[in-house]
Amino acid sequence: MKKGRIGWISIVATFFILVGLALVNTDKIHADDNTYQIGTDVTYPPFEFANDKNKYVGIDIDIMKAAAKEEGFKVNVKPVGFNAAVQALDAGQLDGVIAGTTITPERKQKMDFSTPYFKTGVVMATGKNSKVKDFKDLKGKKVAIKTGTAAATYAEKIQKKYGFKTVTFDDSDNMYSDVVTGNSVACFEDQPVMQYAIRTGIKLKIITQPLTSGSYGFSVKKSHNQKLLKQFNAGLKKLHEDGQYGKIVSRYLGEKAVAAQEKEHSQNSFWDLWKQNKDALLGGLQQTLVLTILSIIFATAFGVLLGLMGVVPSKFANGLSTVIIYIFRGLPLLVLALFIYTGVPNLIGQKIPAFVAGIITLTLNEGAYTAAFVKGGIEAVDDGQMEAARSLGLPYGKAMRRVILPQGLKIMIPSFINQFIITLKDTSILSIIGILELTQTGKIIIARNLEGFKIWTMVALIYLVIITLLTWLSKWVERRMNA
Amino acid sequence: MSAKIEVKQLRKSYGSNEVLKGLDLTVQDNEVVVMIGPSGSGKSTFLRTLNKLEEPTSGQIVVDGHDLNDPKVNMNKVREKIGMVFQHFNLFNNLTVGENVMLSPVQLGKVNKQEAEFLARGLLKEVGLEDKFDAKPQSLSGGQKQRVAIARTLAMKPDMILFDEPTSALDPEMVGDVLEVMRNLAKEGMTMIVVTHEMGFAKEVADRVIFMADGHIMEEGKPEEIFNNPQNPRTKEFLNKVLNV
Ligand SMILES: Nc1ncnc2c1ncn2[C@@H]1O[C@H](COP(=O)(O)OP(=O)(O)O)[C@@H](O)[C@H]1O
Ligand SMILES: [Mg+2]
Repeated sequence: MKKGRIGWISIVATFFILVGLALVNTDKIHADDNTYQIGTDVTYPPFEFANDKNKYVGIDIDIMKAAAKEEGFKVNVKPVGFNAAVQALDAGQLDGVIAGTTITPERKQKMDFSTPYFKTGVVMATGKNSKVKDFKDLKGKKVAIKTGTAAATYAEKIQKKYGFKTVTFDDSDNMYSDVVTGNSVACFEDQPVMQYAIRTGIKLKIITQPLTSGSYGFSVKKSHNQKLLKQFNAGLKKLHEDGQYGKIVSRYLGEKAVAAQEKEHSQNSFWDLWKQNKDALLGGLQQTLVLTILSIIFATAFGVLLGLMGVVPSKFANGLSTVIIYIFRGLPLLVLALFIYTGVPNLIGQKIPAFVAGIITLTLNEGAYTAAFVKGGIEAVDDGQMEAARSLGLPYGKAMRRVILPQGLKIMIPSFINQFIITLKDTSILSIIGILELTQTGKIIIARNLEGFKIWTMVALIYLVIITLLTWLSKWVERRMNA
Repeated sequence: MSAKIEVKQLRKSYGSNEVLKGLDLTVQDNEVVVMIGPSGSGKSTFLRTLNKLEEPTSGQIVVDGHDLNDPKVNMNKVREKIGMVFQHFNLFNNLTVGENVMLSPVQLGKVNKQEAEFLARGLLKEVGLEDKFDAKPQSLSGGQKQRVAIARTLAMKPDMILFDEPTSALDPEMVGDVLEVMRNLAKEGMTMIVVTHEMGFAKEVADRVIFMADGHIMEEGKPEEIFNNPQNPRTKEFLNKVLNV
């Protein structure tokens, strides 16, 4: 009895120590007091995008870095996506956001903005050969917008009047594609971004004057990080004064830069694309594998524990297990990831690094599924087995370990294999909180070169190869265990 | 002779369904008690309360001087001394025949692995299955399984064994071998409570026969008294049914 209990306690302890270590470790990386975590969008050229070396560049990023240099603070710019960035800022996960954010009264209620650094306005664009001439032609049609943007707000405001439907996207390139392929007849976008996209080869045309006039600003959470905001403003002022600002803008909007970017958008063979992006994709794969392996380990430990709690002779433990399984199986993974990454930090007042949030998300979700089939597997073992063991004088723990679990495990093995594969696939959902795993890497590459079909094919093939390997490995282990 | 088991006013309810309605029974050392009675009368439930596979609702059970109501009593220790043989054998499916017999003595530190193997081989020989040591339970016939189950119980060197319809799930031609093993145990002086429908075995081996119905002990006595001259009309009715098939 005693030995059994110690075994379990040590598993639980190990689990928490590992999570603790993960927290501490990642904290250390970011704990450098002078380093601010700055969120930005995944795709918003020329303001932010990954260049051909998959390095994040753009007007926003260069301004941020130059201002930081002028004022002597450090920044770590994270391309988490516009929507996620705004939420993470509010949750305190990020210190600032520079993502082509138009300064609006609504946003000012939640954020403090820097001095404006770029003029903008909302425009509407359609396909090259579209017959849409003005808003009236939108009646009954679909219009693409990007979540959380000022352009989207504008579109939603006039939507009723002109009777069109909206389709929302998280990334600009997906929004453009939707119009290019004709799913939507038009999109609303900020003028400089739209102009740049068209100049670099996106097959759209702008058919309105700027419908609003506004400016981009760097933002921090309202009444937070005021020092950072002041430093940014001071830095920006210097950049204007010494001509750096002009240089940065022409670095991206000058003829040469645009031509280079246009080339990126020209047709490439599958093989050339693979060679160009191999390193980035394999880097993403590595992250996916690390996430998968850690999640499988934690989720299995958590799930087995939770499953056992569901069968031990204690009404309290049974109930607790049922409730936990119910909650974490019931929550969509996406919601759970966002809740842990952007919701929980609000509550506990401490940042949770995206990687840790991702592992916790998968541990809870996959663990709940694991617990359900662990419980089911144990319950599937005939009651007589436990009764016979107990009637011989074996304590509950010993009977469980020597008689019930070995039989239950056999029943569970196929479910475990299945769950491991699901875990691997589910890591892709963590792209939502900006973890640079395989899916997010694919998104970013496509944001740059717009080769959606070829890159997604590569990503899909990589997943299939890995899943095949994982299946083989699992079957091999299964055969060995049954032997 | 001293009392092995003393049961006083034992009651057991499942929800509002009272299954045992105040039983009193004393079983002496070396005694063989056979319990008969219609299905659903509470015989299994009664046996299972004796080693607390079922928790009694009220009443007192004293086994070998240990009052099972006493929270200080280590139930695992008590169970080591009360063997139990089930209708459906309940051999451990993940283990071989030999491992089934060896598991609890080794796990409970009674003997080391070698001693356990020696013990197990000896017990399997006693029940006529020495060649099945490495077999999987799935490959045995019902009668063989039940004899392994008895050997497994004997490996803990119990003071008494409870049998719950040990031959009811067997094909008729298998019954004899199992009863033979039980008869030998009785001869060697094992204290036994046997729930069975094998009236021949009861007549021959039992020191006492108990007739149970509706959660009550309706009648008890020597086998010849019960079988030849039952007093209770329920006993008569029951015996008429089972003996005239
Ligand atoms: N776990 C249980 N839950 C509810 N009722 C039970 C349970 N076990 C037995 N019973 C009921 O108790 C009564 C006696 O059952 P049992 O002791 O198995 O009778 P017998 O062994 O004499 O056939 C039956 O009516 C049965 O339905
Ligand atoms: Mg019964």
